[in-house]
Amino acid sequence: MRIWSITTKDLLVFFKDSGAVFYLFVLPLVFVFLFTGLLARQFTGSEEAEEETEKITLVVVNLDPDGQGAKDLIAKLNDAGVVKTVLYSQEKAERALNRLETGWYLTIPANFSSDVAAQKPVTLDMTVHPDANPEDFQATQNIIASASRDLSLETQILAGLRQMGEMQANSPQFREAFSPERLIRQAKEQFERSRTQPLILVKQTAASSSKGSQDMGASDWVNASVAGFTVMFVFLSAQGTARSIYDEKRDGSFRRLLAAPIRKPELLAGKLLPNFLLALLQVLVIFGAGMLLLPILGWGELTIPDPLSWAVVSMVIALCSTSLGILIASLAHTDAQISGYSTVILWIAGMLGGSFIPTFMMPEFLQSIARFVPHYWANQAFYDILARGKEIGDVIPGIAAMLVFTVIFFGIGLWRFDFD
Amino acid sequence: MPPILEVDGLVKKFGDFEAVKGVSFQVEEGEVFGLLGPNGAGKTTTISMLTGIIPPTSGTARIGGYDIVKESHKVKKLNGLVPQDLALYQTLSARANVNFFGRIYGMRGRELKERADDVLSIVGLTERANGTVEKFSGGMKRRVNIAAGLVHQPRLLFLDEPTVGVDPQSRNNIFESVMRLNRERGMSIIYTSHYMEEVELLCSRVAIIDQGVIIAMDTVKNLIAILGGGVIQVGLRQVDDKILADLAALPAVKSASLMPLPVASAPANVEEGPAPLPALETAVRVVKIECENSQQALVNLINYLNDANLTIASLETLEPNLESVFLHLTGKKLRE
Repeated sequence: MRIWSITTKDLLVFFKDSGAVFYLFVLPLVFVFLFTGLLARQFTGSEEAEEETEKITLVVVNLDPDGQGAKDLIAKLNDAGVVKTVLYSQEKAERALNRLETGWYLTIPANFSSDVAAQKPVTLDMTVHPDANPEDFQATQNIIASASRDLSLETQILAGLRQMGEMQANSPQFREAFSPERLIRQAKEQFERSRTQPLILVKQTAASSSKGSQDMGASDWVNASVAGFTVMFVFLSAQGTARSIYDEKRDGSFRRLLAAPIRKPELLAGKLLPNFLLALLQVLVIFGAGMLLLPILGWGELTIPDPLSWAVVSMVIALCSTSLGILIASLAHTDAQISGYSTVILWIAGMLGGSFIPTFMMPEFLQSIARFVPHYWANQAFYDILARGKEIGDVIPGIAAMLVFTVIFFGIGLWRFDFD
Repeated sequence: MPPILEVDGLVKKFGDFEAVKGVSFQVEEGEVFGLLGPNGAGKTTTISMLTGIIPPTSGTARIGGYDIVKESHKVKKLNGLVPQDLALYQTLSARANVNFFGRIYGMRGRELKERADDVLSIVGLTERANGTVEKFSGGMKRRVNIAAGLVHQPRLLFLDEPTVGVDPQSRNNIFESVMRLNRERGMSIIYTSHYMEEVELLCSRVAIIDQGVIIAMDTVKNLIAILGGGVIQVGLRQVDDKILADLAALPAVKSASLMPLPVASAPANVEEGPAPLPALETAVRVVKIECENSQQALVNLINYLNDANLTIASLETLEPNLESVFLHLTGKKLRE
């Protein structure tokens, strides 16, 4: 109960401080709406731009550049209006996939056109990055399947008709055999065969590397922005814990509490629990405001596909932030030191960890460094859940990494904490 | 009745620095005991050990029969601390502050409300109980500070410099509160201050502490009696053993001796005893004259100095009070 008394008192003190409330609750919303708004304008600035932006880029490696079938397939892919094909060489496509410049590429084999013309089954190869945007990839797959089926059907029907025409021309006595009914029946059979025994198959190959998707649409920016600034400001609440402890020591109330019949672990728990609860409240407020207001402003939709995973990740982030609070409190002994450590640790780590710009858009060496800050893992976990549709099992590495940081921060913080 | 507090050889070291050098004293149940000393004398460190904030380096102390180290949790329930700092939450109301500290001592519900009302009444803040502390005057904040230390009805209350920076009205209110708590509720109080008049007014016994050592401890009356009829300090440019003997032989004078030289001008090779007379006659030496009657002694002193044609460089008469006692015992003023 004594822990809860300290916690409620600290929460009361916090909510009486309008500056602190602005810093932890209003400022993150300003950042979220400012960044999301700016980026949403980039995506939805004009009708043309919107159409252009909404098309998914499909890198195609055409090993049958002169074949009519390959040309027809590419034309059908573009005609669907969903994807925009870009022709790359095999090497360039692989390089782009490795450098995360594309999430997937389609390979049209060298004998594609001749095999299709000869009605021999042919296989298209779709190489896909494991972390490719699942929604965009699914849409691309559908378009390729549809275009392949159309081409397959068209080829088979035309071939059947051509065959019947040749038979009629060679055997006039069978003229009556090629009645309209017979032709329709023949076309139906061809259609059915193209469905059950498609001439063109699409094989999916997974790329070996595991890095983030780069093809960001407006909704991805919304997810990245809300997740990023939530992580940023939840970790910034650690500064509040450090300052609260410092203020109590400066004013003498910490000494007064030490003279009361309360154990030191209880006292620390009472000082840390408010940070944890405020961090959770921050997550709720930022996501709630995002889900409510972003669609109204027309800047995109924010949805939480798996609330359980989101809740677990939120709690782990709040816990990690709390541990960072005691670390700063144990290292900083003046107001200026708290500000200094907070700037260095929290803002720079936040930027490095992908709170402002997703890490997969950063140079590779920065991506490597980013793994050493908890913000990176928090952003990855949130982004995996929100944008990549992953579930709790998929984000366990991120959760584990954050828990490791939490243990380290708590360990150093408690070791170095000066009660006197 | 056993003493509420028994301190035996309490020592506190911070690295090589020994802040408290083996203090020992007792405080009786229902007594107001003063700890008088200048800033840095070791008063707050002593209180910090007795209230369980910091552990002693050595020595023991028992409060209500409980050892302050081995049974600190029980001791803390008996203690109340009003620290020197305004240990309050400025953005909360006076009542919210008092309630918070009450909850920390395990109080809840009706009991807490009644106790909060009571202590706010004791310090005269019932009307302003819901006002925000940051909008209070310095004196009102001090009174809230006291109320927060009283809410759990401690048996032994530590008041550490409770009147620093307060207006005369609040100071009087604090004095009245302390006296009521002691008189009406029988609360034992340890009152630290470097204002001797407060200690004289409130405390039945006083320990004078300097540089971590208790240099005198008795009732206020007995401590003042050390000075007898008062002390005269006279600065002379020319002093020798004959003059000192003449001064000591004057009517209404008990003794005459040379005050130690200030540290900065004292010869480096002198460790004990009276400092030798300065080589230059122009240097001023202060002679301390203990009197049986200071007014009569002063007249005799001036007559003697006129007859001997000695120039008076300075003259100070110390009235018999604790400030003079401290000066007499340590050679320095309480507020230096």
